Amino acid sequence: MRKTLKATLFYVLCTLIVVLWMVPFVVAFFTAFKTMDEIFMLRNFWSPPKTWTFENFKVAWIEGRMGRYFINTTIVTAVSVAGTLFLSSLSAYALAWYEFKLRTVILMIFVSGMLIPFQMLLIPVYRFSVVTGLYDTLIGVILFHIAFQLGFCTFFLRNFMATIPSSLFDAARIDGAGAFKIYSKIIMPLVKPAVAALSILEFTWIWNDYLWSLILLQSDAKKTVTIGLTTLQGQWISSWNIIAAGALLAATVPVIVFLVFQRYFIQGLTLGSIKG
Amino acid sequence: MKKKLTPYLFLAGPLALYFIWVIYPIFRTFIVSFTRWDGMTKPRFVGWENFVRLFNDRYFILSLLNNFKWMIGFVILSIPLGLLFAMLMDQKYPGHRVYKSLVYLPMALSFVVIGQIWSWVLEPSGGIVNTFLRWIGLENLAKPWLSDPRIVTYSLIWAALWRQVPYAMVLFLAGLQSVDREHVEAAIVDGANAFQRFWYVILPELRPAMVITITVNIIDSLRAFDIVFVMTRGGPYYSSSVMANYMYIQAFHNYRMGYGAAIAVIQFLITLGFILVYVLNVLKREERL
Amino acid sequence: MKRLLVLVLATIMVFVFAKERIVINSYMSDPAPRKALAELVQIFQQKYPEYEVVVNTFAHEDFKVLLRTWLASPKGTADVVTWFAGERMRYFAEMGLIVPVEEVFAGAKWEDYFPEAFRSTCSYKDKIYFIPQSWYWWGVYYRKSVFEKFGIKEPKTWDEFLQVCETLKKNGIVPITIGTKFPWTAAGWFDILNLRINGLDYHIALTAGEVPYTDAKLLKVFEYWRQIIDKGYLLPNHTAYEWQEAATFLFRGQAGMYYMGQFIKDVAPAEVKDDLDFFRFPIIDPAVAPYEETPIDGFMVPANAPNKKGAIVFLRFIASKEAQEKFAKDLGRLAANVAVAPPDAHAKKGLDMILASAGVAQFYDRDTNPEMAEVGMNAFIEFMQNPGKITDILKRLEAERKRIYGK
Repeated sequence: MRKTLKATLFYVLCTLIVVLWMVPFVVAFFTAFKTMDEIFMLRNFWSPPKTWTFENFKVAWIEGRMGRYFINTTIVTAVSVAGTLFLSSLSAYALAWYEFKLRTVILMIFVSGMLIPFQMLLIPVYRFSVVTGLYDTLIGVILFHIAFQLGFCTFFLRNFMATIPSSLFDAARIDGAGAFKIYSKIIMPLVKPAVAALSILEFTWIWNDYLWSLILLQSDAKKTVTIGLTTLQGQWISSWNIIAAGALLAATVPVIVFLVFQRYFIQGLTLGSIKG
Repeated sequence: MKKKLTPYLFLAGPLALYFIWVIYPIFRTFIVSFTRWDGMTKPRFVGWENFVRLFNDRYFILSLLNNFKWMIGFVILSIPLGLLFAMLMDQKYPGHRVYKSLVYLPMALSFVVIGQIWSWVLEPSGGIVNTFLRWIGLENLAKPWLSDPRIVTYSLIWAALWRQVPYAMVLFLAGLQSVDREHVEAAIVDGANAFQRFWYVILPELRPAMVITITVNIIDSLRAFDIVFVMTRGGPYYSSSVMANYMYIQAFHNYRMGYGAAIAVIQFLITLGFILVYVLNVLKREERL
Repeated sequence: MKRLLVLVLATIMVFVFAKERIVINSYMSDPAPRKALAELVQIFQQKYPEYEVVVNTFAHEDFKVLLRTWLASPKGTADVVTWFAGERMRYFAEMGLIVPVEEVFAGAKWEDYFPEAFRSTCSYKDKIYFIPQSWYWWGVYYRKSVFEKFGIKEPKTWDEFLQVCETLKKNGIVPITIGTKFPWTAAGWFDILNLRINGLDYHIALTAGEVPYTDAKLLKVFEYWRQIIDKGYLLPNHTAYEWQEAATFLFRGQAGMYYMGQFIKDVAPAEVKDDLDFFRFPIIDPAVAPYEETPIDGFMVPANAPNKKGAIVFLRFIASKEAQEKFAKDLGRLAANVAVAPPDAHAKKGLDMILASAGVAQFYDRDTNPEMAEVGMNAFIEFMQNPGKITDILKRLEAERKRIYGK
């Protein structure tokens, strides 16, 4: 009896939350299927379209050059995420497990890099990439993203690594394992949920990044999806329906990534099984 | 010998990249804040002039106050709600993954899009919020959410929370995986009720996630930009402006890079102040463990 | 040996037949202008096959930010950029960041291509730096059917205008719609009121920062403006709406008039487009000649352009009757080129209105220092919400002006 009560409570609460949360999304969804004339004449933003049209998606795809930009964005995002996760796991490992003089200072350096309002970095970073020839290249954007995300990722992973009992570490050392082996064979597998969460977050951020792709890329052929979306916004005219359609298209990829990586939240890969 | 070098070996690569792309530009920004520069011609050294001007700038003070409103909003709303959602939806009933994915959806959208959508939602005459309020008879609650200077910041915070709460939820979901089930079960055996289990067993084990979430929320609230810029650009007449927004306008619209850099420096120092206190506190507690 | 020969030959071919590149960075992100420009580029490439033209398009607001970084960059990446005429262009000329483009007119004169009236706004220190492509006007737009329904005629004087507002209001229609989420729409009102009350010379002096904002003449502008506000003729909650959203009230017949640029037609729904018409903003002081706003769009060449020669060739093509005519026709705009006739009746009416004017201004945020424009426009909004505080607002603006212009 109590069990079904709990279950009902679960479904009721969750559904309520989801319904509330999805309202703005439904607004975007409906808008994406309307014609511009309908939006103008109807003057509301929440009713279902009178005529459902797929034209917006087509226009968003073509005008927004989504085909090309999806490829560019995937390359930039995938490589950046992999790069930053790898590098930050290295630095997190060092900061979590080794006692050395500059430990706190270096950690604070990573943390403070997270705090700067990134718009101020625009000019120095732009100048740097022009001078080094990295301007208007995908690799330039990738390098920047990897570097910039290192702060947060290091902080994040270090925190999770610090909760692993040191007995594991000591035992492996006694067994004669080298630092890199301990890192790769023991510590990394244990922080999988953290890495999974981080990869979802990083993927979403870098996929949706707008500012840096804008500053560091010039050629139409190299741009990313978010930039493509904004060029749908005219000098005078905002085609809301096309922008909504484009945004929905662009959002599909981070959502899929979330669905895929979510499993790592589900698997019982807990530290508890080791702690016992 | 080898032991002493190892951490530095691990840190070499990341630190090098970080210095080139992040730390060095931050230094440049600090230097620029002491100059008057339009981004194109030679910068001119002006000492503390920018900072002095800042403290007499009513729009900057207004932006600063707004940022504090954001911080309070984020901390007291997104953290408890994020935790609540995470704990609620982590129960492994069939379909829980669907619920999680749907709540996650706002995070998959870029800020520009979120701002646009919420502008439609909060539209005074045609938006769904006011339409709904009028429909259920609460007409006088149907306010001009984005044009009334007294409530506009709160409306923006609300729009930001739509995305910030799922963000906190994801962080807590990861943290919940590290909670030892056996400890929880032992507590049940010991006769602890739900609240006691939560407070004494789960919450302490959520510490890494909690630290991150609090840190992130403080930083994000002080760094808020996109939502403000897209929805109101700081208007009406600066009433919803936040530091990052004001800085952007000064630096990139008014071409006062020095003044903008000074704002960035202040923003940085304030955030650093909060975070330093918090993180050092956490580190201290960890040492004791 | 044979292989080597082939390789050498191929390399020579690549160099001989290599096309010169021209890179154009443009803010024409609306689908129609973008397409028009792309087609112009096609035509150009057919005429001049030795060139390969690349067009990079950016969202309008972003372009404004990026332009500065491009112009100031140690290594140039664009040969031609779109921009506005007026102070905004002269600013860069003064800093030596753009180059004069007089060679475009080699063998001919400015007047062979463009109206004399445009010359000053496209030059700096008597050299031409800017090639205009199209321009548009601002007028009071309304729906013919709505006016007909209530027997309203296009007002010519301020009093007639107020009468029209009153009639509309009595019949449940919002007399004047405006969307001030982004404040430039309010600047439009400021400009035209100032032009009507104080004239062009005063307005230019003001935008150049030479007139104090606490000047008594300027206060008159706000007194007239206040009449509209106090009588409740404006759209309620206008700060929540972008210009486009405010336009929907006009389209749906819920509002009567909108002082706006010609591009409002671009966004009007099909069923409303032909019902839209405009009239010249009413005359306030018959002693002051009629002046109008005519923002001009066009192209200029960065000083760090890698291919300046190619840029000039391209601009010569852009200035030609053929190119200007195509662009104007496709978009219903007015071409800067004097030889091009207005594409339709609506454009002709606009052209006639301008030709009958004594002079033109660019627009507050194109004619004045950007920092001043920013505080100025926000001040207009503050005034619209709190008309009683105008003296305070103007005092603050004056303090800003002193600081910015250092006078």
